[in-house]
Amino acid sequence: MSLVFRAAASHAGRRAAFSSQLALTGQQSTHFPARLAASDKPLRAAYRSLHTSKPVRLAEQSQGAISSQPGDVPAPRVAQEGSLQLSLETPQNKAEYVLSTLDKVSNWARQGSMWPMTFGLACCAVEMMHMAAARYDQDRLGVVFRASPRQSDIMIVAGTLTNKMAPALRKVYDQMPEPRWVISMGSCANGGGYYHYSYSVVRGCDRIVPVDIYVPGCPPTAEALLYGMLQLQRKMRRSRQGVLWYRK
Amino acid sequence: MVSLMRTIRSVRRVGLREWWRQMQYIGDAKSGTYIGKDQFGNRYYENRNAEEEIPGRHRWVDFAQHDYNATQVPPEWHSWIQHIRKDPPTNDVVLQNSTPPWKAPYVENLTGTRGAYKPYNTVVPKIKAWEPTVKSRA
Repeated sequence: MSLVFRAAASHAGRRAAFSSQLALTGQQSTHFPARLAASDKPLRAAYRSLHTSKPVRLAEQSQGAISSQPGDVPAPRVAQEGSLQLSLETPQNKAEYVLSTLDKVSNWARQGSMWPMTFGLACCAVEMMHMAAARYDQDRLGVVFRASPRQSDIMIVAGTLTNKMAPALRKVYDQMPEPRWVISMGSCANGGGYYHYSYSVVRGCDRIVPVDIYVPGCPPTAEALLYGMLQLQRKMRRSRQGVLWYRK
Repeated sequence: MVSLMRTIRSVRRVGLREWWRQMQYIGDAKSGTYIGKDQFGNRYYENRNAEEEIPGRHRWVDFAQHDYNATQVPPEWHSWIQHIRKDPPTNDVVLQNSTPPWKAPYVENLTGTRGAYKPYNTVVPKIKAWEPTVKSRA
């Protein structure tokens, strides 16, 4: 029981830390009505506000009084404050500067030609095909489906992973060369989804292979999957293996 | 409708410096009317001349951050840039009047940073780990 309490306390602490960080950004950045409040007063008065009660009106006005200051520290930067990742991204001497530049070059090369191994298992695969088709056009990001695991660096697990398929999935993953990434697509691959209580389905493909990006949805839209690819690009861009090696 | 004439025209309109920035971030020489700027410093443009911009590319955003992504566009501007609403939020009186005072400030997707959303459980865990206890021996 003490374990539960400890976990809850740590969660609460983390939540408090984040809320304070986000509050910081919230304070600096304000809504757009701020700029308009002064200039469009008569115009605004002409239209009836949706809020009729007086306190709400007052609250609206007080919100509009905050001045907007563009050019603040962006939210991701604030969230990364004091983290190891930020330390890795800030070179501390010349060697690290060179190595982090080399890292950036390799990251750029990797993110520009992501070749996914298609592991289409169910209906998610249809959405995966839509991502390849003309509307979402994955090829403009350099994403090309590759049917061979030995020549691909991403595996998109699209659909329900059954117990029978699991060894094959693991084998295909093991055949992929390093560095390799896995995108788990859809509820079934994320955590079993609809078939979570089935006797023959793996409850999430992260029980078989390490997953980098989880794309939620049943099935996720092609747009969502493409956004997942973009998130994976972001993840690739964060890599600073050279600097890590140097610091060790 | 990328053509040499269009590129030259755009460069003459926006200037060399802005053109260089556009080639780094947008990948195309674009020119249009400046519509506004959101709270994060992203700038929004529109060019409805079909001779200059393909319909569908006629509204665009110039992101403020170097590491940009689409979630940096706040919802009000999103609804303008995706043609959900006709007017930009700076002119949209209906949008301004229907903005509730309790609305939380918009934060972009912080996945991969320390600010990432992490769900947490508040119920008692269903699985109890075995904690072995050794009986004292005589």
